[in-house]
Amino acid sequence: MDYILHLIILINIYVIITTSTNLMVGLVNMLSLGQAAFYGIGAYLSVLALMVFNWPLIPALLFAMAGTGLISLLIAFPSLRLKGDYFVLATLGFQLIVFTVLYNWISVTRGPFGIPGIPSPQLFGAIQISGLRSYLALSSVLAVLVVFLFYHLIHSPFGRALRGVRDDELSMKALGKNVTALKIQAFAISSSFIAIAGFLYATYVSYIDPTSFNLDESIFILSAVIVGGLGNVRGPVVGALLIILLPEALRFIGLPDSIAANLRQIIYGLALILLMRYRPQGLAGTYAIK
Amino acid sequence: MIWQFLVNGLITGMIYGLVALGFAIVYNTTRIFHIAYAAVYMVAGYFLLYFFRTVGLPLYLGVLLAIAGTIAVGLATEVLVYSPLVRRNSSSNVIMVSSIGAMIIIINVVAMLFGNETKILNPGISGTISFGTLLVTHTQLFQFFSALIIFVLFFLFLKYSQFGIKTRAYRDDPVLSEVMGTNTLRLKRTLFMLSSFFAAVASCLIAYDVGMNPYVGMPILLNAVVALIIGGVGRFEAPVLGGLIIGILQSFVVYFASARWQDAVTFSLLIIFLLLRPQGILGEKTRTV
Repeated sequence: MDYILHLIILINIYVIITTSTNLMVGLVNMLSLGQAAFYGIGAYLSVLALMVFNWPLIPALLFAMAGTGLISLLIAFPSLRLKGDYFVLATLGFQLIVFTVLYNWISVTRGPFGIPGIPSPQLFGAIQISGLRSYLALSSVLAVLVVFLFYHLIHSPFGRALRGVRDDELSMKALGKNVTALKIQAFAISSSFIAIAGFLYATYVSYIDPTSFNLDESIFILSAVIVGGLGNVRGPVVGALLIILLPEALRFIGLPDSIAANLRQIIYGLALILLMRYRPQGLAGTYAIK
Repeated sequence: MIWQFLVNGLITGMIYGLVALGFAIVYNTTRIFHIAYAAVYMVAGYFLLYFFRTVGLPLYLGVLLAIAGTIAVGLATEVLVYSPLVRRNSSSNVIMVSSIGAMIIIINVVAMLFGNETKILNPGISGTISFGTLLVTHTQLFQFFSALIIFVLFFLFLKYSQFGIKTRAYRDDPVLSEVMGTNTLRLKRTLFMLSSFFAAVASCLIAYDVGMNPYVGMPILLNAVVALIIGGVGRFEAPVLGGLIIGILQSFVVYFASARWQDAVTFSLLIIFLLLRPQGILGEKTRTV
C-alpha cells in the first residue's frame, strides 16, 4: 500500500514536470533539452530556502519558483534569437553548464556528495509535512493546481496568443503581438512551474545530488512529454503515468531488474521513433510538433 | 610544461575533428541533426571489443570488421529512421526526436549485450617517445597520423573526385543537384556510410587507448557539435578547425584550472558563438531550412 502511495507521489511530481514542459514544447514549439536543469535549479533553491534560510513551506516554494524563473531568463533572452536545431543546442548547452556547476561547485552544492537530510517543510507554522500521507496530499494538491492553471492558461487570451506564435509567427507579428515577449514569458512560467517539482522531489526524497538533473533526465522528460502528447492538458498526464507505471509493469511481468532498465529505455526509444512517424502529436495530444 | 598540454590538446583535437567531420558530412548536406551518431560512434568500440577480444581476431582485422559493422549501423539509422521521415517532409524537430529515440535504442541494446560497465581493450601501458621535453605515447602518435591521413585523403577526394563534386553540389542546392541527374538518395546513403566510417575510426582509436562503456558517445558527440558550430556549419574544413580549437582549449583548461571545468568552458563557448557568431569562425552564409 505504501508503495502505491509512493508511486502516486512520483506521478504527481512528473505530472508537474511534463505539464510545464508542454507549455514550452506543446504551446510554443520550443523544443528544450534543458528541462532537467530547471528542475535541478528548483530543487537546489528549495534546499537553500529550507536549510539555510529556515523558511516554511510557502515562502520556500515561492522563492524556488521565482528564482528558477529569473535564472531561466538568462538563457531565454539569448536563445530565443535562435531557431530550430540551434535553439535546442542552446538549451542543451545550458543543461550541461548547469550540471557541471552543480557537480563541481563543491563549496556550495557539495557536488557529487549531494545534500542529505533535507528537512521536512512546515506549513503555517503548525503542520509538519512528513511521511507518505502528507506528501501524497501536498503533491496531489500542487499537481492538480498546476494542471488546473495550465488548463486555464491554454484557454486564456495569453494561451491563444502562444498558440498563435506556434502556428504562424509571422502573422502574430503582423497583428502587432510582441512575439519575443510572449516566448520569454512562456519560458519563465514553464521554468518556475518545474521548480515546484524540484521542491517536491528534494523534500520528499530528502536527499539530492546533481545526477538526478543531468542530460539523460532532460531527454527522459522530453520523451515523456512527446510520448504522452502535446498541446492539451491530457497529453502530459498520460506521459507522466506511462513513464512511472511502465517500469512497474515490466517488474510485474517478472523481468530481472538489470534487463528491465535497459528494456524500458528501448521501449521509450521505439515509442519515440514510431510516434514521430505515425502519430507526431503523441498518444493523447492535439498538436504535432513541427 | 605548457607545450606538453598543447601537444596533448592538439592530438585530442584531431580526434574531435574526426568525429566532428563525420557529423558535419551528414549535417552540412542533409540538415539531419544526427544525434544517433553518438550511438553509432559507441558501437564501433564494441564491435572491436567483440572481434578482437571475444573472437580473438588480429587487431587490424578486428578494426576492419568494426568499421564495416559501424557503417552498417549508421546506414540502418538512415534507412529505417530518417528516410521515411524525410520522404514525408517532416520538420527538423521531428527528425531530431526520432534520432534521440534511435540513440536510446542502440545504447540500450549494447548495454544489454555487453553490460553497463567500462571495458578495456588494451590492458598494457603504451610506450612513449620523447621529443626533447615532450612526451608522446605511441597510441597518441598513431591517433595523430591516422587522423591526419584521413583528413588529407578526404579533402583531396572532396575537391577532385566526382563524388566530392556531387557532395558539394548537393550541399549547396539539393534540389538543383537532383535536377542535374544526381541520384541523391544514393549519394545521401553514401554520405551516411562515410560519416559512420569517420566515427568508427575515431572510436577505435579512443577505445584502444582508454576503453569504452555504452555511454561514451554522447560526450564526444557534444564536443563534435560544438566544434562544428564554432568552426562554421556548411564548410567541411570548419569542423576540423573547431575540433582543434576545442581540444587545445580543453587542454589549457586542465593546465590553468582543472579538468572539472572542461565542459562548462566548452559549452559556454558554444553559447557565446550561438549568440555572437552563429555562422562560426569560417562563417559562410548557409541556405536557410
